[in-house]
Amino acid sequence: MPDPRLHIYTAAVIGCGGLGSNVAEMLVRSGVGRLTLIDFDTVEESNLNRQFFFRDQVGMRKVVALSENLQRIRSDVRLDLVAEPVTAESLAGIVRGADVIVEAVDEAEAKAMILNTCMTELPDVPLVAASGVAGYGSTNAIVTERMAENLYVVGDLTSDIREGHPLTASRVMTAAAAQAHIVVRVLLGYPEP
Amino acid sequence: MRVDVALFAHLTPFQPDGEGGRHARTFDLAEGATIADVIVALELPDEPRVIFVNSRHAAEEQALSEGDRLAIFPPVAGG
Repeated sequence: MPDPRLHIYTAAVIGCGGLGSNVAEMLVRSGVGRLTLIDFDTVEESNLNRQFFFRDQVGMRKVVALSENLQRIRSDVRLDLVAEPVTAESLAGIVRGADVIVEAVDEAEAKAMILNTCMTELPDVPLVAASGVAGYGSTNAIVTERMAENLYVVGDLTSDIREGHPLTASRVMTAAAAQAHIVVRVLLGYPEP
Repeated sequence: MRVDVALFAHLTPFQPDGEGGRHARTFDLAEGATIADVIVALELPDEPRVIFVNSRHAAEEQALSEGDRLAIFPPVAGG
């Protein structure tokens, strides 16, 4: 059963690709009541190796396809869809009100912008980010680190797609699972070291 | 003033002792020095980064104080 204690919470998921689509799936299965899904992209054939989409959804907006899939898991989940790129100016307005924010985008510049913006404008909202999820390195290297008061970073911190590492289902989804798990732990009030 | 500086991930080789590792090194800085001054002194690459002082997010123009713990984290692509 989904945990009924999670029903009152809202999670904002920025980026609905390899990390975000799988994080969203796990948060819905876990019982989180409401999700804000943010992504301007459309589903491509090449996404199907690791993202929570299906062949017949190629060409659809990711947030629309993901909302369909999530509602097949739990029809009572409340979903707010934002199909536009986030900027440093728009971000806080879009995610304000969420109990936790998940950074799940792919580019380093966008990750830094999201972390810098959220920690400046919404410093009291826990933020779960990822860095270093690419390649065939051991999943044992993927850790969850509390890097600052309200910032948790999942990954090995170094494996960069620019160095030619592929994005694999098994390693990206390991990181996504770790992100979803820390979201649940934070929402339920488990203390993190 | 003395400030502890920790560098993460691919920034670790930029520590002046060249030994790498993410543990903090203590720097002696002029009064009023900013985070940007440290970035210039260490010759850090001009790449996306996230900065913390005493576990709180900080902007590059922020001035440092005696005993501060500065950490600089460079996110990498992939997701």
